[in-house]
Amino acid sequence: MAVRTDGWSIDPRRWPLSFRVPALVVLLMFTISAVITDRVLARLDTSQSRHLNELTNAYLDGISSAILPHVLRDDVWETYDALKRAGKRYRGLDVSWTTVVDRDDRVIASSLPKRFTLQSRLTLEIGGAKPGGEGTTIAVAGDVARFRRTLVHQGRSLGAIYGEIEVARLIDERWEVLRALVITNAILTLALAGVGYFAVRTMLRPVGMLSSQMRAGLKGGVAMIPDTRLGSANSEFGQLFRTYNSLVAKVSERERLLKCLAEEERLASLGRLASGMAHEINNPLGGMLNAVDAMERYGERADVRMRSIDLLRRGLKGIRGVVRSALATYRKREEDRALRAGELDDLALLIAPQARRKQLELEWHNGLSEDFDAPAHPVRDAALNLLLNACSVSPPGSTVLFRAEANARELRITVADSGPGLPRDVSDYLNSRDGRTLPLEDHRGLGIWIVKKLLREIDGNVSAEKKQPKGTRIVLSIPASGYRVPPDQEYENVA
Amino acid sequence: MLESRPIGRRALIVAGLASLATAGRAHAGPASNEIVRFGLTPVFLDNDLALLKRLRDFLSRQTRRNVQLVQRRTYEEITALLISGQLTAAWICGYPYVAYAQELAVLAVPVWRGRPLYQSYLIVAADREASGLQDLKGDLHAFSDPNSNSGYLVTVASLAKARQKPKDFFRKTFFTYSHRNVVRAVSSGLAESGSVDGYVWEVIAKLEPDLAGRTKVIARSEWLGFPPVACLKRLEESPQTQAVGRALRNMQSDPDGAEVLRLLRLDGFTAAPPNLYDGIARKMREVRSLG
Repeated sequence: MAVRTDGWSIDPRRWPLSFRVPALVVLLMFTISAVITDRVLARLDTSQSRHLNELTNAYLDGISSAILPHVLRDDVWETYDALKRAGKRYRGLDVSWTTVVDRDDRVIASSLPKRFTLQSRLTLEIGGAKPGGEGTTIAVAGDVARFRRTLVHQGRSLGAIYGEIEVARLIDERWEVLRALVITNAILTLALAGVGYFAVRTMLRPVGMLSSQMRAGLKGGVAMIPDTRLGSANSEFGQLFRTYNSLVAKVSERERLLKCLAEEERLASLGRLASGMAHEINNPLGGMLNAVDAMERYGERADVRMRSIDLLRRGLKGIRGVVRSALATYRKREEDRALRAGELDDLALLIAPQARRKQLELEWHNGLSEDFDAPAHPVRDAALNLLLNACSVSPPGSTVLFRAEANARELRITVADSGPGLPRDVSDYLNSRDGRTLPLEDHRGLGIWIVKKLLREIDGNVSAEKKQPKGTRIVLSIPASGYRVPPDQEYENVA
Repeated sequence: MLESRPIGRRALIVAGLASLATAGRAHAGPASNEIVRFGLTPVFLDNDLALLKRLRDFLSRQTRRNVQLVQRRTYEEITALLISGQLTAAWICGYPYVAYAQELAVLAVPVWRGRPLYQSYLIVAADREASGLQDLKGDLHAFSDPNSNSGYLVTVASLAKARQKPKDFFRKTFFTYSHRNVVRAVSSGLAESGSVDGYVWEVIAKLEPDLAGRTKVIARSEWLGFPPVACLKRLEESPQTQAVGRALRNMQSDPDGAEVLRLLRLDGFTAAPPNLYDGIARKMREVRSLG
């Protein structure tokens, strides 16, 4: 299970939760381990140092009292023998050598007599302390610790005891502790990471299900979570799933209502168009009736008859154009087909009544010289909606621009008006690429919603921008989609 | 030290007073309850406790008296005890015997390798190139005891012949108060050379070959009288002393005594031949003549 299924990113925020949480556990455990290891080793170091100091001081106390009378008598052999005996007695201390020197730092006796020959001078700095200092000095350097103890008798310095202790055993012990800590912590960390991974994976399974449902919704297939997978209503996810299902139900209802509204809008447009068409048809009808009258009265006159027939033909042609456009626009979707080259020009005919009513000038550029492989009806519906909106918002006497350009891959339709401009939310909605919805208020923007919906259906894109000095420019980008123009049979019932 | 007299004046006074205090008790009580105090010095390997126990048991049984073995660190202490009458007899070195020949008598002399004689050895580290005393000039030298013939007098006498003194000839000298410790000092490197009892060195070579093997003998003295078991002349004829003398001289014929002798690597004890210690006496004179 992964909350996100897209590719891996170097950004940890994009990693799946099922990985992030165990990773966080590992990181936390590692940090805790490092801190604990550091503290344990620091404590061990302190303990070992104290232990070493105590043992060394005990050794020096013993050896000082043992050799003092011999040093006082300058008894080389007994001093040496005492050192040798002491070396064997202090098992807890790995003494490499001990050397006794007089006040002039000349060797009186040493447990390593070949290295420290009698009467040779021994000058040894221990932990930065120069020879001749008082008391006891112990300093660790590498694998050895060196010490120095001043030999004092009745307040008078007789010399000093120098020596070296092997501390490799202590260092080995420290390494052993470190190794044990690292291994234990590594095992614990891995175990906890594994437990964390499976726990989080189990805990996040409902989130994954919700996520996949929502992704499906983005692709248009919003569906409720089946009752069998809802779980207990008391559980957190049970409540979340029920809330989600309730939301899905509301969204579906909204979609249905929007479709109804769109249909109503379509019918309202049809009504408006029908009245326009009636006007368009009514104009030639008067002339045609006059022609029929003239033919009835002066039908025997060839010139009158021919003029009347010509008038009737022109009138009928005009009516045919209007009817063809209406048919083409309001035919059923199931009969969709590719866009014809001259089909967009019919739109000019449909909006002509509105344009004339407001004395608008139509600036019409149809650059479509051949058929374009895209569904005709969504393109025409969208363009017609934009043109009707443009006519509606344009002030009287202004210009409405229509421009269609196409290449093999894309058809671009631009509609521009000189109106007050689109509200910000409508403009944002049009320009958005995601599935956001448009707040509908009193049918405002319904046409825009329809345009957006139509374009989404044919994988097209809409963009809106402000036109200077005033007005709006809306561009539809429609990709070629492999539609082929079927044989011309749509108009067979139209005169 | 030995340059003047082998035993200090104070030790003699103390020993004399002690002798006066104990003289009255020497013959008191039945023989079986008398205590025989037998003094020992490191003229042999006196660190072997099992040997010491066998020796004491043997002497107790043979003398039918309660024998106590008395050990001190130095020859001087044992000699002082002997001269002051606190010891029935003592196994001392030939040098103190010669020094106190007026007061002391030889009760028995050990026989080693068929003769009551031994030598003094000069030893150095096994890996050192040296062939004689003169090669040891400037050494750190270990002596056994200032009252030892083999562990001091012989070497000092040799130097005296060349009109030299130890403190000038050697860089430094020190005493280990034991022949075995001289061997240890040289083998460990504490001393660069040492003067040691030849009998002791040979026994060590048998018992502790590792220790002796780290040293080598570069010079042997002439044969000299073996360290004797001595007693006060004035007590020489006392039953106690006679009992001790008999026990020692008959040691090889007794199984326990033979075992003690085997441990000591000795053939037995015998009466002292005349002039046995003349060589030591001559050396003492040579040293004293140098002052």
